[in-house]
Amino acid sequence: MSSPEPLLLLEGVAKEYGTAAGPLRILEGLSLRVGRGESLAIVGPSGSGKSTLLQILGTLDHATSGRVELAGQNLSALDDFQLAAVRNRQIGFIFQAHHLLPQCTVLENILVPTLASGGTASAEAQQRALRLLTRVGLQERLGHRPAQLSGGERQRVAVVRALINQPQLLLADEPTGALDHASAVNLGQLLVELNREEGVTLIVVTHSAELAGKMQRILRLEGGRLMEAK
Amino acid sequence: MTRATLILRSLRFHARAHLGTLLGAAIGAAILIGALLVGDSVRASLREMALMRLGKTYLAATTGDRLFRPALANEILQTNETFSGAALVLPATASSGDGSARANRVQALGVEDKFWKFAGQMPTFGDISADGVVLNASLAAQLRAKVGDTVLLRVSRVTQLSRDAPLASQDNATAALRLKVHAVATDAEIGRFSLQANQVAPFNAFVRLDQLQRAAGALNSANLLLVGREPKADQKSIEVASKELSKAAVEQLRTAWKLADVQLELRVDVTNGFVELRTPRIFLDPPVIVAVTNAFPGAQLLQTYFVNELRAGNRTTPYSMVTAAGAPFVPAEMRADEIILNQWLADDLRAAPGDTVALRYFSVGTARTLEERTNSFRIRAVVPLASPHADRALMPDFPGVAKAESTRDWDASLPIQAGRIRPQDDRYWKEWRGTPKAFVTLAAGEMMWSNRFGTHTAVRFPLPNGATGTNALDTLRKDIEVKLLTALDPASVGFRFDSVRAQALAASAQGQDFGGLFIGFSFFLIAAALMLVSLLFQLGVERRAQEVGTFLALGFTPAQVRRLLLGEGAALALLGSLLGAAGGIWYARAMLHGLSTMWSEAVGGAALRYHGAPGTLALGIAASVVTAVFTLWLALRKQAAQPARELLAEENVEPQALEDGAPKRSRSLAIGLIALLLALTLTGWAFAAADTAAAGIFFGAGALLLIAALAFMSAWLTRLARTDAATQLSLAKMSVRNTARRRRRSLATAAMLACGSFLIVSIGAFRLDENAGAGSRASGTGGFALLGESALPVVHDLNTRAGRDFFGIEAKNVEEVSFVSLRVRDGDDASCLNLNRAQKPRLLGVKPEALAGRFTFAGKVDGVLEKAPWEALKRGEFYPIHGQPLAENEVAAIGDAASIQWALGKKLGETIEFTDERGRSFKVRLLAALAGSVLQGSLLIDEAEFARRFPSEAGYRMFLVDAPSNRAADASEALTRALSDVGLELTPATRRLAELNAVQNTYLSTFQVLGGLGLLLGSVGLGVVVLRNVLERRGELALLRAVGFRTRALRRLVVSEHAALLLLGLAAGVGAALVAVLPAWFKPGAQPPPLSLWLTLGAVLASGLVWTWLAAVVSLRGDLLEALRNN
Repeated sequence: MSSPEPLLLLEGVAKEYGTAAGPLRILEGLSLRVGRGESLAIVGPSGSGKSTLLQILGTLDHATSGRVELAGQNLSALDDFQLAAVRNRQIGFIFQAHHLLPQCTVLENILVPTLASGGTASAEAQQRALRLLTRVGLQERLGHRPAQLSGGERQRVAVVRALINQPQLLLADEPTGALDHASAVNLGQLLVELNREEGVTLIVVTHSAELAGKMQRILRLEGGRLMEAK
Repeated sequence: MTRATLILRSLRFHARAHLGTLLGAAIGAAILIGALLVGDSVRASLREMALMRLGKTYLAATTGDRLFRPALANEILQTNETFSGAALVLPATASSGDGSARANRVQALGVEDKFWKFAGQMPTFGDISADGVVLNASLAAQLRAKVGDTVLLRVSRVTQLSRDAPLASQDNATAALRLKVHAVATDAEIGRFSLQANQVAPFNAFVRLDQLQRAAGALNSANLLLVGREPKADQKSIEVASKELSKAAVEQLRTAWKLADVQLELRVDVTNGFVELRTPRIFLDPPVIVAVTNAFPGAQLLQTYFVNELRAGNRTTPYSMVTAAGAPFVPAEMRADEIILNQWLADDLRAAPGDTVALRYFSVGTARTLEERTNSFRIRAVVPLASPHADRALMPDFPGVAKAESTRDWDASLPIQAGRIRPQDDRYWKEWRGTPKAFVTLAAGEMMWSNRFGTHTAVRFPLPNGATGTNALDTLRKDIEVKLLTALDPASVGFRFDSVRAQALAASAQGQDFGGLFIGFSFFLIAAALMLVSLLFQLGVERRAQEVGTFLALGFTPAQVRRLLLGEGAALALLGSLLGAAGGIWYARAMLHGLSTMWSEAVGGAALRYHGAPGTLALGIAASVVTAVFTLWLALRKQAAQPARELLAEENVEPQALEDGAPKRSRSLAIGLIALLLALTLTGWAFAAADTAAAGIFFGAGALLLIAALAFMSAWLTRLARTDAATQLSLAKMSVRNTARRRRRSLATAAMLACGSFLIVSIGAFRLDENAGAGSRASGTGGFALLGESALPVVHDLNTRAGRDFFGIEAKNVEEVSFVSLRVRDGDDASCLNLNRAQKPRLLGVKPEALAGRFTFAGKVDGVLEKAPWEALKRGEFYPIHGQPLAENEVAAIGDAASIQWALGKKLGETIEFTDERGRSFKVRLLAALAGSVLQGSLLIDEAEFARRFPSEAGYRMFLVDAPSNRAADASEALTRALSDVGLELTPATRRLAELNAVQNTYLSTFQVLGGLGLLLGSVGLGVVVLRNVLERRGELALLRAVGFRTRALRRLVVSEHAALLLLGLAAGVGAALVAVLPAWFKPGAQPPPLSLWLTLGAVLASGLVWTWLAAVVSLRGDLLEALRNN
């Protein structure tokens, strides 16, 4: 289901890598519209380009050709500095590996993205961090280091960190891939709830049919092409 | 939460990883701060020594052989705050009572009790007894004398008439004093008193003033006037105080001085009604004549000269006095070619007015050389032997002549042929003494007899018209004294107050910058420490690739990430620098210990103490932080440049490794070939031109070879990186190929080792060898076998038989031996042995032709003749600047290149201000520079100019001795023995050159030692590179392990690939350096590079291998297969 004014728009996006044997095409002319507040799962076999597509959506990679628009802004036309600002303000990332900073506490990890635009985290950001941590049930773990948390807890901290700057788009790359089943189920549920509560558009790349099933739409990426699976 | 919090958290979390970086920063800071503290310490030690040698002295007026009353000092600046004193300072030699120890160039100081007031610390040894002497510590050590021992002091006797003057007696030139050592004065007790800026303590012997006066024949005389005050702390106030004191001292001197203080006498002639001004120095100084004629235009100038012969036809009269004067002795209108004879002479010559008389006389040359000249005159008149012509007082008090009762008693040192003196001559002498027999005009006298000591021998002041009687004469005498002393400039007669304290402090402050020198010497140590900082920090950052990727993914820009990392680095740099400050103090102390022991030749044996100024410490810390932060900034430039996705996935691959290396390889090969060709061309040219001694050419060739080697290495690594190089795979080939994976990193490692080893080996090419061509006239010795310096002047020409006979030198001992004698005007030693900046260097007067063809010139200003550079010293011979001759107040000079550049801080063509003996300032213009010569330390000027500027500097005190090499030792022994009374000290020229060369050679050794240490530290960096490389390839190595390789084999693989880099680097550096040092090998008596150098290089190789092995062990430790599983 797509809204009349999509948050994310892909038109003819292709990606290829040069190799000794000639160019290797990963994505072939993908087009996609994702509305605000929508939740979407991208599934497909390993090596199909799911993560590459997610990185292009997250401005961590460039499409070889085609157009990517986020909230009406052509991402292909932005320089690295502007892309960094887009990543910081409009996009939230959740990785399979949580990528929390081991030297920082839970609260500090959550506030790290707020430092990119200013030297100090605002009181407002701190309040939001506390609210979100309470929301994900980690209000007692503020001062803990990542090493003192379970895998599920670390991933919930990563979710909160992704939401701290109130992004419009939340990208999750195999968020439950490193979790046990119970934790994976909980995290999946949390993502869906936050999608609804925070009004953030959610795109999840996953192998988990269970997690994909919780999304409003499921797209299958195979042979470099996207197909509507749900 | 702030970025600072983030930085602090990271610092704490990664503390262990940062330890190496911290250590590297601390080492770098310690070396940098230590070097600066060495500079501080040397400066402060020099300042301390300068203040020690002067005590509380601010001003000094050295009048040399112009003596004044010691009581004069009592009337100058005697206040509660300031004081003055007089001393008699004479050159001397000293020996122990049993003659077993001897010291030349001793300073004998006749002092009053109040002299000790100038000491920084009042001595405790009390008044010196009548037969006592106080030695300073260095003289006591030289003579091995202690309190109560007997020492023999031989001092130069003072003469009123310069010993260079032909009439001056050469007998009894010295006097010996047998004295008992009363005490040994410490440095604080002004024991090292000296007016020359030098860190080496002089030999001082302090005796009672009256005793030295008696011995030297200079009763009630002094020649050094000192002004002192309680010292002020800072340089500026010392300068201000010195100027104020100098002004006040001159004013008070003008009030207090008497004619006796400038060796002038007024004689009242009651009979003839005039007052006469004369001087025991025989010739009145030109400034005195100027003052007299200005104050008394009617004064009669007189010049009475000793002539050898008066001839009319075939009749002659020998050895007579002739006076040049104006009226009333000769008519005012008398012409310069006319002469008036007294009746006795006219009768003796049977000459009458209108006849011609020829006058033969000695003209004084620059030394005691006498040239007999003849002038003819027409007899204008014959006058009776009556007033005013029958005036025996017209003859000055020529020593050895004036008081003689008979001509047989004449004791002049002129070459008088006694046989020519007839009985009537002796009778004339007995009856009329030195009454002049003839009179010429003043103009004629000036033309014939003017010399560097003066022109006029007396000035007469007749009573004003109408005045008569004793009272009138007394009034006139007083009037002359007042007006003359008012008109006379004290500086023109030797009373020039030098601000010795301000000069000494300036000399120590501007001295050799050891801070900069040691930063240079420690260059490799600092570079190696910084390289370690960079490598370790990069290693740490690379291991945090995912963290960097996370920041990028969260919206941080690469620059923001680098700033965060740099923040961590800056904190480490600050902490390391603070730790390094403590290490720096230790390093400075170690270097000072080195300078006092194994490198003491670099500082002329000066005792250096640690002095660390807080400001320097702060500056060192700041500089260390900035340097380390800059290094880290350079290291971080490429960090966070990889895409976040790669960093998050830990795909840390150097992009260049995947590029096509063909263009790069071609470029490297081209550079290598060009450099190799140039190196071969240079070397071939040097051999073809038989110029194998040209160190510069071979150093250049060596450097080009190094560039070629590194370029070829780069090309080879590029080729290895290509896939087609892997057709025949083996473990050994694989290890070598692995070096190409990180081509830049491998090349940087090898280049660092190559450049380091090249520099520390090739620097040996610049070692100075005193024996290289020592016999050649073009060498640093000038071809002279011996270099001599005497404590007392030698006025005889040692090349003549008369001169040798005077000293009893047996002819057989000096066969084929010749001398170039040099006049010496004492000044600061401007050689590299003096750590102070020479303010007024020593001047040597030499006959330019005597040095023709000697030494090699390192540089000349335009216009100096290529074939006869020494001729440039002669006035009028040379037009140096824009075709203009030297100005009247300029003197041409030649000096050693090192003296000019380092000791004086000057360039060719520039000038140095001097003041001559008569207080007139003049400029010495530097026209040419000698290359590495024994004359380093002084400036050479034409002897004629020297005599003009310093007429009172009698005789020669420096000698360059030409002798066949097989006779030099015998000649040296014979000459030293014969001239022991003048304290002649002869040194083989090569030894003197070795002493001078030792400074540069010691600097090079220091550089090699510290450079070696730096290289050793740099080899640790190789271990870090190994760690980085292996950690990056852990997965790949794990794969090899998984397919069956044993850990030992993998370790061997890692060690061998890095050992190859180590060996390649060292081989390239040492190989190129050996070409650079070829000239040193071609020299006769060449010595191979010192063992210590090979040991250093061996240690670098061993250290590199050990670190490589350790790094391989550490990085391959643990379960490699785990890494594979993670991948």
